[in-house]
Amino acid sequence: MMAAALGPPEVIAQLENAAKVLMAPPSMVNNEQRQHAEHIFLSFRKSKSPFAVCKHILETSKVDYVLFQAATAIMEAVVREWILLEKGSIESLRTFLLTYVLQRPNLQKYVREQILLAVAVIVKRGSLDKSIDCKSIFHEVSQLISSGNPTVQTLACSILTALLSEFSSSSKTSNIGLSMEFHGNCKRIFQEEDLRQIFMLTVEVLQEFSRRENLNAQMSSVFQRYLALANQVLSWNFLPPNLGRHYIAMFESSQNVMLKPTESWRETLLDSRVMELFFTVHRKIREDSDMAQDSLQCLAQLASLHGPIFPDEGSQVDYLAHFIEGLLNTINGIEIEDSEAVGISSIISNLITVFPRNVLTAIPNELFSSFVNCLTHLTCSFGRSAALEEVLDKDDMVYMEAYDKLLESWLTLVQDDKHFHKGFFTQHAVQVFNSYIQCHLAAPDGTRNLTANGVASREEEEISELQEDDRDQFSDQLASVGMLGRIAAEHCIPLLTSLLEERVTRLHGQLQRHQQQLLASPVSGTVDNKMLDDLYEDIHWLILVTGYLLADDTQGETPLIPPEIMEYSIKHSSEVDINTTLQILGSPGEKASSIPGYNRTDSVIRLLSAILRVSEVESRAIRADLTHLLSPQMGKDIVWFLKRWAKTYLLVDEKLYDQISLPFSTAFGADTEGSQWIIGYLLQKVISNLSVWSSEQDLASDTVQLLVTLVERRERANLVIQCENWWNLAKQFARRSPPLNFLSSPVQRTLMKALVLGGFAHMDTETKQQYWTEVLQPLQQRFLRVINQDNFQQMCQQEEVKQEITATLEALCGIAEATQIDNVAILFNFLMDFLTNCIGLMEVYKNTPETVNLIIEVFVEVAHKQICYLGESKAMNLYEACLTLLQVYSKNNLGRQRIDVTAEEEQYQDLLLIMELLTNLLSKEFIDFSDTDRHPPPRPQYCCIKCTEPLKNKI
Amino acid sequence: MEDEIDFTTGDAGAFGTNPMQCSALRTNGFVVLKGPPSKIVEMSTSKTGKHGHAKVHLVGIDIFMVKKYEDICPSTHKMDAPNIKRIDYQTGEVCEDLKLPEGELGKDIEGKYDCSHKALQINGIMRHEQTVQVWINCRSK
Repeated sequence: MMAAALGPPEVIAQLENAAKVLMAPPSMVNNEQRQHAEHIFLSFRKSKSPFAVCKHILETSKVDYVLFQAATAIMEAVVREWILLEKGSIESLRTFLLTYVLQRPNLQKYVREQILLAVAVIVKRGSLDKSIDCKSIFHEVSQLISSGNPTVQTLACSILTALLSEFSSSSKTSNIGLSMEFHGNCKRIFQEEDLRQIFMLTVEVLQEFSRRENLNAQMSSVFQRYLALANQVLSWNFLPPNLGRHYIAMFESSQNVMLKPTESWRETLLDSRVMELFFTVHRKIREDSDMAQDSLQCLAQLASLHGPIFPDEGSQVDYLAHFIEGLLNTINGIEIEDSEAVGISSIISNLITVFPRNVLTAIPNELFSSFVNCLTHLTCSFGRSAALEEVLDKDDMVYMEAYDKLLESWLTLVQDDKHFHKGFFTQHAVQVFNSYIQCHLAAPDGTRNLTANGVASREEEEISELQEDDRDQFSDQLASVGMLGRIAAEHCIPLLTSLLEERVTRLHGQLQRHQQQLLASPVSGTVDNKMLDDLYEDIHWLILVTGYLLADDTQGETPLIPPEIMEYSIKHSSEVDINTTLQILGSPGEKASSIPGYNRTDSVIRLLSAILRVSEVESRAIRADLTHLLSPQMGKDIVWFLKRWAKTYLLVDEKLYDQISLPFSTAFGADTEGSQWIIGYLLQKVISNLSVWSSEQDLASDTVQLLVTLVERRERANLVIQCENWWNLAKQFARRSPPLNFLSSPVQRTLMKALVLGGFAHMDTETKQQYWTEVLQPLQQRFLRVINQDNFQQMCQQEEVKQEITATLEALCGIAEATQIDNVAILFNFLMDFLTNCIGLMEVYKNTPETVNLIIEVFVEVAHKQICYLGESKAMNLYEACLTLLQVYSKNNLGRQRIDVTAEEEQYQDLLLIMELLTNLLSKEFIDFSDTDRHPPPRPQYCCIKCTEPLKNKI
Repeated sequence: MEDEIDFTTGDAGAFGTNPMQCSALRTNGFVVLKGPPSKIVEMSTSKTGKHGHAKVHLVGIDIFMVKKYEDICPSTHKMDAPNIKRIDYQTGEVCEDLKLPEGELGKDIEGKYDCSHKALQINGIMRHEQTVQVWINCRSK
């Protein structure tokens, strides 16, 4: 509108003024002026057929921002008015823009890029329009490239980059208001022909540059741009034919694109000169860290080549062999730069992930061995550098990233035992395993914290609770190292055993010395903890590695003993003396080497017993009042390990294995003295930890997790309840007396869960009756006694009453957590009685948000754990209880605002819990294990809608 | 809907403190930090070195002066937790000499009081009484 009303000079003046406003510092113009200026540009871009005005602007205006806007206006108008425009005028517009840029080498970069973008959009829009020929652009570009003038070559590169972004139909593509199918079709056509042409042009340029001896700065910058362009082409996300609409969007958003070109690329990419060129280029520029990133990325993309481009397996083998040769020639005998580590590990990781095992094994044997040797060497060396990075506390952990990638590659490589003969990787595994251990142990056995300037100390560091535990932070590394340890079990298990046993002895000695010092001069107090901390850190890592080596962490599944471990134990069982093995296991208080015949024991059991020895030293130190010298971290590691171990090994189900090791079945099988002993031992540990370490939340939490593991399977629970300690624990917890009431509420909940699970073990009716009388009934009785007193309303805010109520609600959450398919009937009935009473409590405690939240939480847990098992009438009962709860809640909260001294986001905890409750109720719709043969169950949506009605006004 | 009359109170009871293991304290609970009872607004744990013992870092706001107190102590440490006696009042029924807290909250309560909002909640702690929280029931207007 505006362009039509005003002549070109006025338009230019207006736009230039608006640009001045927009570019002015905030102090010079106010918001209104700025908005007005923005509006001028927006309506300018929407004006009808602005081509003549825009051309005029481009030719006369000196203001960069106005030039930029003119280019944008052209781009938008061309697409908008495409069908109305003469084909010839589109063609001339494109030529005008290109010539314009060519003639003005000093244009601002952002203006130039915008004009080229407009050109790219025109080419793209035209590519589906047969009547217009846009192919000539490639001819023009190749002429520009051959000019030899760096500035012109840079421009050519910019044109190609713009085309590439525009056709990639990714987030880089401009929004021109066309359908996704249009973008998809354009992309398919482009990737068959034009993209390849761009790649060829790029390759030519790179070839040219790689031949030159000396590159000046300007040429080197052109080189870099073309290398980046090559990377962009090789990272192209090739759109397969016939991909549905929904998949296109998903496909385009995928990260880490692997190179999977169409068949038409065969000649281009399988030409070994292309691959060689990229290796040559990398060798030439590897010291320039920016360019090296691109060249390594190009190689990593080439390493991921797969798909229809390979006509047969033979060609894939040839390609891979050639690639590995090139790689080895490039990295062997050089000192790897820091900036190369991640790139090189990506190349290797892609090769191992993408090429099938049969192809990998089909390359010449010698080549494959050198490849694996090189991988081993790199892994160990990156591991050492990563450890150094950690000591120096570097921000950018390149070696750590590279090490992670290589360890992951190992995991992929060794998990396949069909294509490699047994023992093929053993020696390599030993090396990687040893180097991992070495990096994590203190001198003299290891190199932990060792830098060029001596030993760095990290002991005084403040560690917040948010810091992830090593076992989680490094779980991927540990999983790989554990796997390698299994492959080389013959070496690794005895190694871990001897390292641990030696450290246990030292720890014991060290603690004794401390005790004597304390006895001699109780006041002096200052003990040097350096030695102890070193031992703790060593033991910490050894336990983590042992845990990952001996067992897998599975959620919900029954974890099996890893086959490598089983085989290893069976293989040696003929040399093993079972009695001595049991003796080693059953005497954690004695030094292993003090037991006669200790070398004829099962190595796996001996490794376990080494950790029991650590645990025993800890227990003795506690008894000797040295708790303050112990490491809670080590305590945590011990119970974490025991939980992981017990899940897999304790009372092994022999039906799950083809063959079972005799030492295992004798020591931890069903109906063995060994398993009864070990359960008693573990239970004792749990009870001791809960009282000694109640102030260490994480440790207490790992400890109750161990307890849950002991009772969650019926077979183990049967043995647990035979221990007197178990009954004592149950009684003690029911009394709510110290030290168990010091435990944090999540720990208390889990403890309750364990106690309930234990109640479903096999017992005679009388015992069972007695058990529930000890565990659940006190809860009910105490609760009813409190809420049924006449003056409960008056006393409800008294500290003891509140504590009682809170403890009961916490316990109810724990009981709900203990739900399993075979106990849901009993637990549901038990909990339902409480739920009704809880609604009454909502009324009493309506002004006490903590309590209200806890009550809702009980409902959340019950719904979460039980709804999927409930039949029609019980589900209905639960829905109704929830509905009443929400009605009471909304009655009490309607129109209420809360102003608190410490109002924070926790204020909305109640609403979050209610949403969680509704989500849990709805989950019945898709997870339902109840017996629903007869009637369809009540529709949870309906109930949820009913439930939310009272809330509508609240939110 | 009828206005909710919110007047619940009990007998005087025993004010005072009882010792609690530091790790058992909770945010929004009360603790004695260097003198006056404080409401715990922030609680976090840390340790010195990977093998150190947990220390609890507490930030509490003194409920009388609305002043911030901080403390850091081993998690096994015993701290004094004040016995809370909580009384809910309805505005209009509040005794005149009731001390309003300083700072924002105090002004806020004054404002609400004038507008005759309902339900003022009082905590009596360690023989002191202090308004700590206001509930406003807009529907009663």
